[in-house]
Amino acid sequence: MTYLFILLYAITLIYFALSERVKKFVWLLSIQGFMLFGIVFFSLNKIDLFDFIFILTETILIKSIIVPWFLNKVRKHNKLKRIQETSVPVFFSIIVVVISLIFSFLLSNSLNSDNIHTKYFNVAFASILFGIYFIIIHKNIFSHLVGYLIIENGIFLFSLAVGSVMPMMVNLAILLDVLMGVLVLGVFINRIGDAFESTKIDKLSKLKD
Amino acid sequence: MISLLLILISSLFFVGIIVKVKAKIAARKMPSILQPVYDVIRLFKKGAVYSQTTSVIFKIAPLAYFSSVALAVLFIPIGSNEGLLSFEGDFVFFAYLLGIGKFMTIISAMDTGSGFEGMGANREALYSMLIEPAFFILVGSLALFTNNVSFHDLFLHLKLDTNLYYIIGIASVYVLIYIAMVENSRMPIDDPKTHLELTMVHEVMILDNSGFDLGLIHIASWLKFSIYGALISNFIISNSWAFYWQILAFGGTQLVFSAIVGILEAFRARNKMGKNPQWIIMLSAISIVVFLTALIITKKIILN
Repeated sequence: MTYLFILLYAITLIYFALSERVKKFVWLLSIQGFMLFGIVFFSLNKIDLFDFIFILTETILIKSIIVPWFLNKVRKHNKLKRIQETSVPVFFSIIVVVISLIFSFLLSNSLNSDNIHTKYFNVAFASILFGIYFIIIHKNIFSHLVGYLIIENGIFLFSLAVGSVMPMMVNLAILLDVLMGVLVLGVFINRIGDAFESTKIDKLSKLKD
Repeated sequence: MISLLLILISSLFFVGIIVKVKAKIAARKMPSILQPVYDVIRLFKKGAVYSQTTSVIFKIAPLAYFSSVALAVLFIPIGSNEGLLSFEGDFVFFAYLLGIGKFMTIISAMDTGSGFEGMGANREALYSMLIEPAFFILVGSLALFTNNVSFHDLFLHLKLDTNLYYIIGIASVYVLIYIAMVENSRMPIDDPKTHLELTMVHEVMILDNSGFDLGLIHIASWLKFSIYGALISNFIISNSWAFYWQILAFGGTQLVFSAIVGILEAFRARNKMGKNPQWIIMLSAISIVVFLTALIITKKIILN
């Protein structure tokens, strides 16, 4: 069952490459949160109440509800509707995401280590690669934030892949980091939007003392 | 023989159901379920009119298109009922049979010498070319998964024994539904109800066809829908089921499939022309995920 969610997560990456609307990015992030919940939930050997509540808060509450809700607020504040500003055509983006998926699957196939759970590693690696690519091709800081969250989801899966010792503490640290990061960046984007009436990064590069 | 009969019968109702669902959603008066059949009978009673600029290609193309699709029907199995023809690698033959039909319509559209029809033919060729990897990767991964290379054996050995089967099943059905839409030039790619030649794909190619030829083209389009519906039903039907259950499941699948097409057409807007290629290549990307899943199941990729 874990595989089902892992592969569905991979499919959400393809949809990230395909979609061009900011609203859809937020939706996809929310869906990724549910996928992460599925992956973690079915990979647990035994479930005690504390773990369950922790996972529920971390994935569903924060990743699927609070962060997308906040992002939607930022989106509405800055009147972001449709992004037409990728520097690479979507056609190539889809090919890139497919290549990164195949590459990470082959890489995890060749990693014969007992310390790494390669079934999480493959999609985590693809997610991080794609997040970086996503940031590079977009010219809007809001999309940069989305890319950052994709990378973060990848890191969450990474912690599952290598986490034989206290993954919960690692996750807790990452989680607080991300939540704060999103809040601060959201406020930051709002301020930029108010000052420049646009969130394109071209304008930011013209800043001088 | 049974699968052939079932596909032929279901094809009669397929477009009727689509039209009925669309009319119901738009709160119009619903036409009879056999209205498309009556339309085609009316067309058959008419003679065909040929433009003076066209050559013999234009005259034989509808017949070639229809016969290639009719031949492709013979390869489709349903559950444990074998198709009339079956040999190893028949899915390649199947895909290129449909390809020949498409090629004939494309050159017949170009034969008329109309600029609009040339443009439509251009688009149709591009979309068919882009959808081909999706179909082959999908069927190829099923072949890898079951170790069989003919449609009949391939679907006979698809088993519901692993959790990973679900992802193969769901993704394959999703991709096949949209392949059917692209092959028939329906909603997300092309709007059959559009009135502007500039934005048409398939409809503009058959503008010059009339009477008997147009009827044949319509029937080929029903058959294509029914073929893909039958392929989808094979994912749902299990061979261990009794015969009448298989037939019922086939009928149910065709009904649901046609209703889905109707709902999609009623609620979805057509993609922008420029966005179609990337949308179609996305289907290939999903097929590659299916392929990776098949690799995991067959232990070609070992994950711990």
